[in-house]
Amino acid sequence: MSVSSPPAPSARLTARERRTRFWQMVQLMPIMAILVLLFGGALVLAILQSLGFAPWFGVNTFPDFSYFGALWGSSTFWASLGLTLYYATVSTVLALILGILLALALVKTFPSKTFYKYLYKLPLMIPYTVGIALAVLMLSNGGMLSRLAAFFGMIDDPSQFPQILKTHYGWGIIAVYVWKQTPFITLAVYAVLLGIGRETEEAAAILGASRRTIFFRVTLPQILPGVVSSTLICFAFNVGAFEAPFILGGGFPDTLPVVAWRYFNDADYTLQLQGMATVVSIGLVAGVILFGYLAAYRRYERRMGRN
Amino acid sequence: MTKVQLNAVRKQFGAFVAIENIDLDIESGELVALLGPSGCGKTTTLRMIAGLERPSAGAILFDGKDVSEQPVQDRNVGMVFQRYALFPHMTVEKNVTFGLSVRGTPREEIGARLEEILDVVQLTQFRHRFPAQLSGGQMQRVAIARTLITKPSVLMMDEPLANLDTKLRGEMRRFIRDLQQRFGITTIFVTHDQVEAMELADRVAVIFNGHLAQYDAPAKLYQQPASLDVADFMGASNIVPGRMKSDDLVETAIGEIRVAPRAGFETGKDVQVMLRGEAVDLLTDPPAQGGVAGRVVARDFFGASVNYSVDCGTHQITVSEQARRLVDVGTSVRLNIDPERVWLL
Repeated sequence: MSVSSPPAPSARLTARERRTRFWQMVQLMPIMAILVLLFGGALVLAILQSLGFAPWFGVNTFPDFSYFGALWGSSTFWASLGLTLYYATVSTVLALILGILLALALVKTFPSKTFYKYLYKLPLMIPYTVGIALAVLMLSNGGMLSRLAAFFGMIDDPSQFPQILKTHYGWGIIAVYVWKQTPFITLAVYAVLLGIGRETEEAAAILGASRRTIFFRVTLPQILPGVVSSTLICFAFNVGAFEAPFILGGGFPDTLPVVAWRYFNDADYTLQLQGMATVVSIGLVAGVILFGYLAAYRRYERRMGRN
Repeated sequence: MTKVQLNAVRKQFGAFVAIENIDLDIESGELVALLGPSGCGKTTTLRMIAGLERPSAGAILFDGKDVSEQPVQDRNVGMVFQRYALFPHMTVEKNVTFGLSVRGTPREEIGARLEEILDVVQLTQFRHRFPAQLSGGQMQRVAIARTLITKPSVLMMDEPLANLDTKLRGEMRRFIRDLQQRFGITTIFVTHDQVEAMELADRVAVIFNGHLAQYDAPAKLYQQPASLDVADFMGASNIVPGRMKSDDLVETAIGEIRVAPRAGFETGKDVQVMLRGEAVDLLTDPPAQGGVAGRVVARDFFGASVNYSVDCGTHQITVSEQARRLVDVGTSVRLNIDPERVWLL
């Protein structure tokens, strides 16, 4: 009599695991296709072009670092980089401060809270270009604020109003970014605040901590995940954003995205390679900063016992 | 040690009245439970004493001094939250010393008091762990240590045993009681569990719908509840309506029950008769008369004790006794009731 032995359970499990993995891969296909083909492909092409590979323009000097050399060797590039980082950092920090304050206010109970909870999200639904148009309408020398100042006799003529737009201080750019991104950061921090509840803050107050101590020693460390993720997204956007600095910026030297756009828009097609080197440089700078930011955060998290 | 008094304290949230004119005197060094069902206002009362809520009216006094308007930071109270509210980003050590460090206590003193309190709550070996790396009981001990290290004048606990399993609850109950007696600290805790309240507290304040229903020692609360609601909440199962036939005899649907005479319960008055299950003797070899006749219709065996449901005609009476014997279902019995153990409502 022959006895057939049942298949080994471990082998059956492996087969099942393989099937599960296959289905996981199938489910991941749409997003992987976008990431690998569109984003990855574009990234590879950009790097190749920035290194002199553009046979469709009749240029193929790959590998050629002269585009980067020319870019990084010019003092204008560093001025542009400084302006780009200045606008991105100041806007992100201001939006973060306002976002945290707003989120802390929203967790409290006050009359008409539901209305304010809808109101603060309004800029999220309005496009950047509308925000830019609003900045022009409000802040320019012929804008609402200057006319109001003239109307109330603070200045003789709207043209005397201090110039806010089209300067390298970038108040207009910063205003638009802050206006648009404060609600985004508020949303992220508010969600985290709701998750952690009020009890740890109350426990700290009972133990004798002042409001300031409670915020810095109890609340802030707990909302850090929301702070980091939202500022990461805002900063990355601000470094690469084009419209606001293009319309509201102070002109030469421009921010790096505007510099890249000028290269791409030039009648001389071959300058597109210089533009690609600019784009890759933006990517590199943003990547290094964001990686450093995340690494520092992870280090802090490990120190706090969160792995 | 601090005496706590609530004088006509009222708390309103918008149109909703959470607490309605509560008067409560908590003696120095006393352990008091605020007992009641969910939403009755007991946690609100605790939060007002702590300073986390401001009373809409009335006064809260610590040793005769009105602290109703005093900020929470200045009250020197301690609170152990139901979910412990430990700071998740701090180690046990940092959690415990937080209160002292924000009060500017010198470093050497913090170190010495930390060692002392970690020893008391037996957490010395866990001092470098984070809350997420601790069990429920350990987290609660950290929360208690974090509070006790500041030497609060009043200790408050919100449902201190609610998140613990049965075995841990027993351990923590003894631990809390020992600590309270050792430090002699006035302690107020909130619970919805009447057994927990009776086991831990010197006195229990029963709160229903924002009103103080009764404030008494556990034994009195259990045996002599002030109202039907309190009796029901304290687990009284045998409540039978009746009428006073004389000052020591009540006529009920299950028969005549002899009671101890009590002022206010004159002949002809309609009353509710409360019989505690363990105060009723179950006689299987019944005398011809006396007591209440019935038949055992159900038996619930709990190991050390046993409960019988005895059908006495219109009502079923629950009798509880130690499981030294087991009476079979269907047995005819007589219930003998000590008049001193009958409570009239």
